[in-house]
Amino acid sequence: MKYEKVLHKNLETPGYTGSLADYERQGGYQAIRKALKEYAPTQLIDLVKRSGLRGRGGAGFPAGTKWDFLPKDPALTRYLCCNADESEPGTFKDRELIERDPHQLIEGMILAAYAIGAKVAYIYIRGEFVYGAQVLERALAEANRAGYLGKKILKSGTDIEIYLHRGAGAYICGEETALLESIEGKRGLPRNKPPFPAIHGLYGKPTVINNVETLSNLPHIVNRGVEWFTSIGSPPKSPGMRIFSVSGHVNRPGNYEVPMGITLRELIHEQAGGVLGNKKIKAIIPGGASAAFLTESSLDVKMDFESIAQVGSMLGSGGVTVMDEDTCMVSAALNLMEFFAHETCGKCSPCREGSSWLVQMMRRIEHGHGRMEDLDQLVRICNNIGGKTVCAFGDAEIAPILSTLKHWRSEYEYHIKEKKCLVGNRGGQLLTIGKH
Amino acid sequence: MADTDTVKLKTETVKLTIDGREVEVPKGTLVIEAARKLGIEIPFFCYHQKLKSDGNCRMCLVAVEKMPKLQVSCSVPVSEGMVVHANTTVVQEARKGVLDFLLANHPLDCPICDEGGRCPLQDYSQKYTAYGQFKEEKRIYEKEFFSPLIEKEMNRCIQCMRCVRYCDEVIDSKALSSVNRGYHIEIGHYGEKQLECEFCGGCVQICPVGALLNRLPLYEYRPWMLTRTETTCAYCADGCSLRLESRPQTREVIEVTSFWGNETKTVWGKGRNEGDLCAKGYFGYQFVNSPNRLTKPLVRKDGRRDGPLVEASWEEALERVAEEFGRIKGLHGGEAFGALASARCTNENLYVFQKFIRLVLGSPNVDSSVRYGMVNAARALTELTGTPRWLPSYEDITQADLVFVIGTDITHSNPIVGLKVKAAAKKGAKLIVGSPLRPRISTLSHIVNLATRHLAHRPGAERIVVIGMVKAVLEQGKAAAGLAEHPSIARLRETVSKLSQKQIESATGLSYDAIRAAAEEWTAASRAVIVFGESIVRARDGYETVRILGDLALLTGKLTAEGCGLAPLYEENNEMGAYEMGVVPDRLPGLGRLDHEPDRERVQRAWKEPIPTGPGLTMIEMLAAAREGRIRALYLMGENPVGTLPASAGAAEALESAEFVVSQDLFLTETGEKADVVLPAASFAEQNGTFTNQEGRVQPVRKAIEPIHGTRPDWEILSQIAVEMGHPLEYQDGAEVSHEIARLWPACRPGGPGWREIPGRSEPAVAAERYRAERLTEGISERYRIDSGEKVPASSNGRFHLAMGPLLFHSGKMSLQADGLMKIQNRPFLYMAPEDAERFGVGEGQSVRLRSARGPGSVEVAVKIDAKYPPGMVFFPESFNEPPVKDLLTVELDKASHVPVFKTAEVVIEKIT
Amino acid sequence: MNPETKKVEFSEKAQKEIRELLTHYPDKRSALLPVLNLAQAEFGYISEEVMIMVARLLDLTPPKVFEVLTFYTLLNDRPVGKYLIQLCRTLSCALVGSENVLGHLKQRLGIEVGETTRDGLFTLRTVECLASCGTAPVMQINGAFYEKLTREKVDRILDDLKRGDPPVLKPMGEN
Ligand SMILES: Cc1cc2nc3c(=O)[nH]c(=O)nc-3n(C[C@H](O)[C@H](O)[C@H](O)COP(=O)(O)O)c2cc1C
Ligand code: SF4
Ligand code: FES
Repeated sequence: MKYEKVLHKNLETPGYTGSLADYERQGGYQAIRKALKEYAPTQLIDLVKRSGLRGRGGAGFPAGTKWDFLPKDPALTRYLCCNADESEPGTFKDRELIERDPHQLIEGMILAAYAIGAKVAYIYIRGEFVYGAQVLERALAEANRAGYLGKKILKSGTDIEIYLHRGAGAYICGEETALLESIEGKRGLPRNKPPFPAIHGLYGKPTVINNVETLSNLPHIVNRGVEWFTSIGSPPKSPGMRIFSVSGHVNRPGNYEVPMGITLRELIHEQAGGVLGNKKIKAIIPGGASAAFLTESSLDVKMDFESIAQVGSMLGSGGVTVMDEDTCMVSAALNLMEFFAHETCGKCSPCREGSSWLVQMMRRIEHGHGRMEDLDQLVRICNNIGGKTVCAFGDAEIAPILSTLKHWRSEYEYHIKEKKCLVGNRGGQLLTIGKH
Repeated sequence: MADTDTVKLKTETVKLTIDGREVEVPKGTLVIEAARKLGIEIPFFCYHQKLKSDGNCRMCLVAVEKMPKLQVSCSVPVSEGMVVHANTTVVQEARKGVLDFLLANHPLDCPICDEGGRCPLQDYSQKYTAYGQFKEEKRIYEKEFFSPLIEKEMNRCIQCMRCVRYCDEVIDSKALSSVNRGYHIEIGHYGEKQLECEFCGGCVQICPVGALLNRLPLYEYRPWMLTRTETTCAYCADGCSLRLESRPQTREVIEVTSFWGNETKTVWGKGRNEGDLCAKGYFGYQFVNSPNRLTKPLVRKDGRRDGPLVEASWEEALERVAEEFGRIKGLHGGEAFGALASARCTNENLYVFQKFIRLVLGSPNVDSSVRYGMVNAARALTELTGTPRWLPSYEDITQADLVFVIGTDITHSNPIVGLKVKAAAKKGAKLIVGSPLRPRISTLSHIVNLATRHLAHRPGAERIVVIGMVKAVLEQGKAAAGLAEHPSIARLRETVSKLSQKQIESATGLSYDAIRAAAEEWTAASRAVIVFGESIVRARDGYETVRILGDLALLTGKLTAEGCGLAPLYEENNEMGAYEMGVVPDRLPGLGRLDHEPDRERVQRAWKEPIPTGPGLTMIEMLAAAREGRIRALYLMGENPVGTLPASAGAAEALESAEFVVSQDLFLTETGEKADVVLPAASFAEQNGTFTNQEGRVQPVRKAIEPIHGTRPDWEILSQIAVEMGHPLEYQDGAEVSHEIARLWPACRPGGPGWREIPGRSEPAVAAERYRAERLTEGISERYRIDSGEKVPASSNGRFHLAMGPLLFHSGKMSLQADGLMKIQNRPFLYMAPEDAERFGVGEGQSVRLRSARGPGSVEVAVKIDAKYPPGMVFFPESFNEPPVKDLLTVELDKASHVPVFKTAEVVIEKIT
Repeated sequence: MNPETKKVEFSEKAQKEIRELLTHYPDKRSALLPVLNLAQAEFGYISEEVMIMVARLLDLTPPKVFEVLTFYTLLNDRPVGKYLIQLCRTLSCALVGSENVLGHLKQRLGIEVGETTRDGLFTLRTVECLASCGTAPVMQINGAFYEKLTREKVDRILDDLKRGDPPVLKPMGEN
């Protein structure tokens, strides 16, 4: 099916360059005019609350509710941070929004900043997005020049500055409190919560952190209203459009903006053009590396927060990775475990020690040195990590092993018993990629 | 008004339940602390009361009802009605799981680990039966040479980051880093370098496992083999509590610890130092077992003055002393004796010393190292407030809303009070620092860096800065309520109004606006303390400058108000004690004045003997008298004037002129070398007694080991000589001395009454009022003068302001005998600004020639570049006599206090070609 | 080395940029990551001298810079080749053949992962997900993405770079 594009409308318009002029031509920056005129900040918060917009960064927390947690004392400095750290394996939607339609994000940020009373906002962009950073710098300069940013924006009483802050290579800085630490010039180590950033955030001040896609939704909600927004997607709990990044063994990998709630089957087979070489699907990760693997029996599940949770995974970042029948599940899990072991910040003991422990065991199994009792030990280690760490990274890193063990335990056993892979390993592609 | 205040002060409390028991604790208390209050032990590694919670080890997990996951009790504050389960099976299993992770990569090398036996990782592993499930390859860190004093064994590290956090948050040294990410994290400094830092030892002490260790006693012991003695540090007057860990059998002090309850490291912060130490405290105690310790008395061969010093028996030496003393007393009377003591001795030894001099020798001429400057402050403070003791406490500094630090490089001179100032600054107090030093970045903390207002005055201009502040306060019409109308204050206003802003600006090098702004902040503060040190106390016009500081405080109602007042810093541990024990010619034990009949009477009654009338001679007068033959015998207990005073003071000549000199010391000093009899004394580690810190707290000194073979405690030596001389001054032990002192003066008892309870002393506020009415205008024009032309030499003509002073790693000459401190720094440098070094074309470690601008003589000295010194100023650490920089200095006597002023000089620096 | 010794200096342009950066934050320390990024752009890698200079600039001690420097993988504390090849090894790229690309790169360059070619031109690294999974397999060279890699494409890229054509920054799907 074809759907009306919202976030992708501009960038799929032929000739659209993402410049300020193009954005304005498409009706851009009308939302802030409208908001400044029609809504007091608290009304804007209320509007977003009523829209039911949920975070697109991973946890799916309702945006308006998060904003509402900020203390009401107007004397307090507040900050807005845009999470553009996009590092979740399988996810590349924010990058496209940044590179191709930066003003949509900036307008969204202005709306959010206005709503929460932040005079300063930061975009934390991962260091690898060198091009994206250039695009954003240029767009910010344009917006400043045009009076959308700076002192008394659009001649209102509101001051808003947006600064770009580039990371330097650390997945964990996508975790919101690690992101704050990183902006403060420190190692990106997550903080213990509570206190939450809404109370004690950047520089100890009330702070809101939102994902690029979440923020990019705001101009449309303001322009088209709550009713429109709650009528699309999978209301009441998962309204709106969602960009899914589809990758792996599909014919047309890429970003697809679709209403929340379409089935995985439709997403993979219709949008992404089906599986490479017409093979059978073996596994799907529905929401980035932190989400549990699903089997092809889940293909008819609806892609919304609740439905995916019901089948034991999560919608997460919207990164959908498809694996065909010839994929070795042990090496797929190992691949992601290596990712996590490389990216753990190392702050808390279960995650720091556990991740490499798991990697070592998985490597042994993959290389034919496994023991049957390893499998229970893997589960035990995972359970000793899950729920006991500073941040959600700990829960994320155990998802690949636990879910592959759950669905494909026999593959693990085969590795251990036969000291080789059950499936014809696509030319050895998935064999462990060594230490790096 | 008063009512609302008390309401505000009453802390809100919260009730919660832990393991079924209810407890009420102040709001904000952490769950782990609330549990401790109930006696419920929650295991932990990364938590520490001194540090911000980090919650990284995850050992302290508990279940909290209504919270989704297990929570780290070290980071979760209590809330009303909270229900905590600290010991369910789930919780226990979770902790066991955490231990499994921590043990995974731990080398389990407990048999060769110095921490073994006092290691929580050991204890908890046993308690939670975590026996290690890990069967993979362990992470191995290469062994590194971290520093000569600190061993780094990263394989044992549990990455709790307490060391790094302590270095950042408490010490402000920021010398440690956590290097790398994730699995590969380790503790480091930067780059490939060895650790350079303040060497406070805090990281070693705070490390829960054996990852950071003190190298000095490495592999020497198991913790349970050591005997632990709680005592008081013998270096500076901050008065830190520490523990000597010793092996009594061999009379060895093995190491120092301070954090109480080291075994599980669960209880923190005993003592005025709250567990913190500096390099001297932590690494400075090998002097006790130094091979250079004197262990046999020395006497001149055949009693000839020009004969060499040879070893003698105690009997022989004591007999000799008694005989000579007796002879001289018989021929020339008590006045022929001069006596100097070191303020590093215990109160008991000092007490017996002055009593011996006054009664047995019959001499009024007794003085001590407090004469180097402490008396300036003691005198002024006594006049201002009726007591030489501080009115503010260390806690008042921490809780102040403004601290004014002037005349001290506090990290170096008094590191622990420095920590209190840092703590205040971090809590948001204003910090005005008057100092010629510049801010600079290094891994030694620097108080100027934390200043919220830095008055970067010319070296030596402290007095004028304070005068400027007094003037500004009065101009702003901001004298405290009711004071402005007093005639004495009017006189003061009139006096300072005659001083022009220009004069002040040119003398201080500061803009008057800056001074005025500082004065405004000072006036506006409500809890404010002035912390000042050697550059006032030991400097020219020291006594007057302290009085001016007193005027400033008085004027603004902050001299005696709660939480306010003056806080002079002293270098030697027991300067306050020496003063209070009457080891100065004009004071008796208990601070009575020698020239005050009732005071004399009281002491005479206790001693049952008359005390020679004074006034006796002060140190410099004594030395002069010896040179002139009026004094014929000198008794030096721990005091080393030859090694301390510049050659021009003529101490050596004085000793040579005297007929008989006794030096009683731990070491053979420059002074000892000129003595006729040298008596080996026991150190503070070898006897019981008390020290009184600068604040005025009397603290216990406890015997850790028997006196090193051949040495004796000072009091014992003194009483033996007395007995020999037929004038019994007998004590069975040190405790007996302590009792006598306490009877005479209850304020000198550990935990005894402070100034408030001192009998016969008036309340400070009453004393201050009397001072204002009667003494404030005394000498006012002299005190508030600005000498024209009192300018500091500009470096452009090769002239420099040389300052001599303490260094963090050294104090006096004692530290030069401490192996650990010598490992940090074993030679002196002339510290200078990079700009100056560049001008002379000298690099680090290269030498320049230093010449006095006034007198003869020159020395060559190696340079260290340090950007904190402003161009035109150089610094030399006073502990080092080689090269003899001190001998370039001249001595000036403070007219009021007889303090020999010699710590600064105008010098010329030349390139060596 | 004495931390006060001055050896390196930012260019005029970078200094201007740093002055601007400092206005973005309420405290100096926050500028650390941006300044380190700038320093790396300027000096190629963060040497000890550069670290000390950055520390001085931001009122930090060198260890506080070092701990940040060693946390972030894009910051180099030692020299790297003129072209830093960062090949993604994470799942989506692995599924469509990054291992083959890696083998090819190693063979073409004659080096192992982590090494630099003898001419100092190329350093080869594998990295984690580059957020380009839709155009996998991918690598990044000096910030520029190279997508949908095949052996032939890798050959072409290396040849271009050797010839002196600099990497060009382009949006997703265009390189
Ligand atoms: C380990 C970890 C990594 C994360 N990485 C990202 C990320 O790259 N981008 C992102 O937007 N959110 C990321 N998140 C989620 C953020 O913590 C946060 O929930 C999100 O930015 C909030 O924005 P939203 O409410 O608009 O989704 C991550 C979370 C964790 C635990
Ligand atoms: S869970 Fe992992 S990533 Fe999160 S704080 Fe702990 S160590 Fe760091
Ligand atoms: S003590 Fe609580 S997490 Fe370490």
